[in-house]
Amino acid sequence: MAQLSMHEPAGGGNPVLDLSKAPLPTAKTLGARRNLWLQFWRFVAFDLRIMRMVIKGHH
Amino acid sequence: MAEVLILGAGVSGHTAALHLRRLLGSQHTVTVVSPNSQWNWIPSNIWVGVGEMAKKDVVFPLAPVYARKKIGFHQAKAVAIRPKGDADDPRGAVDIEYTLPEKAGTTERLRYDYLINATGPKLKFEATEGMGPGGHTESVCTADHAVEANHKLREVIEVLKTGKPQTLVVGTGHGTCTCEGAAFEYVFNVDHELRQAGVRDLARVVYLTNEAALGDFGVDGMVFDQQGFQTTSELWTGSLFRERGVEAIVGTHVHRVEERTIHYETLDGTSHTLEFDFAMLIPPFGGVPLQAYDAEGNDITSELFAPSGFMKVDADYTPKPYEEWRAEDWPTTYAAPGYDNIWAVGIAFAPPHQISKPRKSPNGTVIAPSPPRTGMPSGVMGKTVAMTIADRIKHGTSAAPHTASMARMGAACVASAGTGLTKGSAAAMTMLPVVPDYQRFTTGRDERETRGELGLHGHWVKLMLHYLFLYKAKARLGWQMIPE
Repeated sequence: MAQLSMHEPAGGGNPVLDLSKAPLPTAKTLGARRNLWLQFWRFVAFDLRIMRMVIKGHH
Repeated sequence: MAEVLILGAGVSGHTAALHLRRLLGSQHTVTVVSPNSQWNWIPSNIWVGVGEMAKKDVVFPLAPVYARKKIGFHQAKAVAIRPKGDADDPRGAVDIEYTLPEKAGTTERLRYDYLINATGPKLKFEATEGMGPGGHTESVCTADHAVEANHKLREVIEVLKTGKPQTLVVGTGHGTCTCEGAAFEYVFNVDHELRQAGVRDLARVVYLTNEAALGDFGVDGMVFDQQGFQTTSELWTGSLFRERGVEAIVGTHVHRVEERTIHYETLDGTSHTLEFDFAMLIPPFGGVPLQAYDAEGNDITSELFAPSGFMKVDADYTPKPYEEWRAEDWPTTYAAPGYDNIWAVGIAFAPPHQISKPRKSPNGTVIAPSPPRTGMPSGVMGKTVAMTIADRIKHGTSAAPHTASMARMGAACVASAGTGLTKGSAAAMTMLPVVPDYQRFTTGRDERETRGELGLHGHWVKLMLHYLFLYKAKARLGWQMIPE
């Protein structure tokens, strides 16, 4: 897996990851993650993907 | 008439038992041996561990289901396998010791024509001094552990409500642990509970993991296609940690735990201590201890089992460096070498090697996540071996085995990050295959099927799986229509 340069020891004696480069979701993204209508379709899409994997990958 | 014996009633063993009963006529017997009286949907232990579900919501008694399905059941633990029988009978046999309270400690020798070892893991808390429910840390590996973890969490929340800051640590203990996904789920559910209680600002929440990078999950991480760009599970999960304010410490091996202090080493060889008020650390898994004897009573345990206690199957166990690992190393039939009537499925089979790149600290400490083989893959293995046995019984021993390699099958991993039908959240991931195959795919996996999404729908999926798999495990009408 590609390594990102997030590992920078912080103070306090514990090498806590520096996550300041990790992307923060925008207000639009956070809203989409709670939007019932959008999430319903993501739910359907995810279930279909699981079923496709079952058919493709099992046996 | 054929007798099929199944050791273990977890996801893989229970799945195998139900399918065998469905596939075989009543002249054949299917018998399960399990030390536990209850079936546990382990993924939902996470919710028990934060008080969002009760123990009764994630377990049910096995005996009534087996009685209804005409599956034999011994509440007992297997202690020895005799694949070539004994002086009295050349058929294979298993020695069991009852855990059923009325018969506790009594032993019996059960004969079999076909044997499935689905004994699951031994939780090796003892690998780390001071760890586990008998020590200073909590666990969510069993429903009872999760109940206790919730009690301790509530105590910490009450302290936080008095205005006193607390440190909560969630993660893995030993450097060779697996099930990082469970620790990942639990840390975000704890975060969610702290927010619900209005005390998150006073709590320091730390994720301590043996993964070399966030998002590794013991499967070497994943690469996702996101809006036309490749992104890694490391960056994707890192975003969630940053958003929730959860601190992460990676590449760790916990040496010992004292009351309120964790002593650990990181991949760079440095040693650290972390003070805590609440800690839930996953233990490493070993094989359930089983001895093996030949017909003369000679110990042949090392012939059937790897040193880790997991049963050897049709994998390529030749030691080789990470760069030479191949999809073909992974087992396809789960048959024990040298025996055409013994299989090991789920956590009970010995993997050929890790999936994530193994690492050692400069001090020689192995910090390498073990391969996860729970949930979906476990169920598929159980069904696959059940189909093989059913074919052998119906069509003769030359019937071709069914196959299900983890380097071919996919898996869904839905990591809850908070509950509630409108306020819940989860990181929902799919990967195909589980074991990356860099010869077939440049990123190791099928990019069309390997995805990661965050949102409310993930919580709905996790809740749906909870009810579906409990329904299926209870063998209710149409259970076989629900895929593994």
